[in-house]
Amino acid sequence: MSGFSTLMIHGRPNLPDAHGALRMPIYDNVAFEFGSSRDIQLAFEGRKPAHSYTRISNPTVEFLEQRLAAASGAMGCVATASGMAAISALVLALGGAGSRVVASRYLFGNTASLLEGTLKPWGLETAWVDMGDLAAVEAALKPGACMLFLESISNPQQQVADLKALSGLAQAAGVPLVVDTTVTPPVGYKPKDLGVDVEVLSTTKFISGGATSMGGAILDLGSFDWKQSPKLAPWAAQAGPLALLAALRREVHRNLGGCLSPHNASLQALGLETLELRVRAAAANALAVARFLEGQPKVLGVNYPGLESHPQHGLARAQFGGLFGGILSFSLADRPACYRLMDQLALIRRATNINDNKTLIIHPASTIFSEFPPLARQQQGVPEGLLRLSLGIENAPDLVDDLAQALEVL
Amino acid sequence: MKLVINSENRDVADGQTVLDLLGSLKVESPDMVSVQLNGEFVERASFGKTGVKDGDAIDFLYFMGGGSRA
Repeated sequence: MSGFSTLMIHGRPNLPDAHGALRMPIYDNVAFEFGSSRDIQLAFEGRKPAHSYTRISNPTVEFLEQRLAAASGAMGCVATASGMAAISALVLALGGAGSRVVASRYLFGNTASLLEGTLKPWGLETAWVDMGDLAAVEAALKPGACMLFLESISNPQQQVADLKALSGLAQAAGVPLVVDTTVTPPVGYKPKDLGVDVEVLSTTKFISGGATSMGGAILDLGSFDWKQSPKLAPWAAQAGPLALLAALRREVHRNLGGCLSPHNASLQALGLETLELRVRAAAANALAVARFLEGQPKVLGVNYPGLESHPQHGLARAQFGGLFGGILSFSLADRPACYRLMDQLALIRRATNINDNKTLIIHPASTIFSEFPPLARQQQGVPEGLLRLSLGIENAPDLVDDLAQALEVL
Repeated sequence: MKLVINSENRDVADGQTVLDLLGSLKVESPDMVSVQLNGEFVERASFGKTGVKDGDAIDFLYFMGGGSRA
C-alpha cells in the first residue's frame, strides 16, 4: 500500500477482531482482566504485552496510534485527550526547572500561555524567537535548551519557517526539533523528510473528520538520539530509541492522565479515512478565497502561503508538497471593521476551531490572544485589525459570495 | 545454560543469541519487545550478534503497553 488514503482505509490492526469486525471496535471499558496474579504483576512490570487500564493504554486508542504512526512513518505514537494535552506532556517529558524551550514567537495563544503563564513559575524558561531569523535561533540553542518548538505554519500569522535549516541547527545543538503539524497533517509530504524529530498535534482539527471530537498525539519520528536529552538519558539507558515513548507511556502521560477516550479514538480513526480528501478540499478553498480577498480594496493584506505574494511561498511549496493548509488571515482597518464584517457574514460561522468541515472566522486579538497585552500581541503578530479564516470543505463560490456581501458594509 | 529470564531461573540450550531466545522462548510480540541483558539495553540491530552466556540475566520489556498478539 503506497497511497495515503489506501493505507488509512485498509491498514489493519495488530490484533484481528474476534468477530471479524470490518472497523476496529470501540473498547469502551476501563479495566482489563488477567488470568492470574502472576500475569498482572508481569503486565505492571512491563514484562507482558497487555492492556491493564484505559488511562494508560486501550485497544481502540492503540489502533488510532498505529494509524497515526503509519501516516507519518513514525516509530511510535502516544494519543492524548487534546492537542494541548499532547504539548503539555511533551514539554514536561523533555524540560524542567532550569531548562529552556526555544519557541517560535508565533505560537498558538494557548500554547504560548502554557509556556509563559503555566510552566514559567515552575522554573521552565522559554526563549521566544523569530524562526525566520536563523542566527537568533542558533544563539538561543545554547546549553540548557531542551527542545526547539514551532508550528509548521504559524496560526494565525501564517509564517513558514525553513524546517531543514532549523533541523540542522537543532542537530548541532543536540536538541530535538519538535513541530506542531496540526494544520499540515502528512498528506503530500512527510515531516520526517524535513528533519523533524517529533510531531505534536491536535487531532481535534483535520484528523477528527469535521470537529467530531477532541484529541491529540505525540509522534516520535525515530531520528533523535535521546541519550542527548538530560531528562530522557536515564530512559534511553533502559529503552534505547523508545526512550521518549516509554517515558510518556510509563510515567509522564500516565501520571498526567490526559488520555484519549476510546470513543474519540474511533471517530478519529474514521476521520483518517477521509483526511486526504478534506485536506485537499480545504486547501483549494483557502487558495480561492485568498485570491479573492487579495483583490479587495478594503482588505489591507492577506496572509496565505499559497499566494505567490507570500514571502515564504516557494519554501512552503517545497516543504508541504504543493498544499498550503486550510487557514488564512487577513487585515482590515481596525477592530470595529473586523467586528462589522464578522457580524454581516451569513454562511461563515463565528467560532474558535480550525480545520472543521465548516468555514469559521474569528478575531484573534479579542479572543485567543486576549490574555496578552496589546504590545505583546503586536510582537506575536496579532494586530487589532487581523481576522482568521479557517476554510471548510463547502463550495468555494458560496464562501466568496458571503465574504463579498459582508465587505460591502465596510 | 542457566539464565535469569524476567526474574525467573530458566535452563535453556547453550550457544544462543538474543534473537535465538526470542524464538526459542516464544517471546510475545517480538517486534514490540525491548531487551535488557544484565541491565544494559540491547539495540534491536544487535539481537542476532549478541550472545548469551551461563548466569546472564535477560529481561524482555514492553515499554509501550499494548495488547498481546498471542
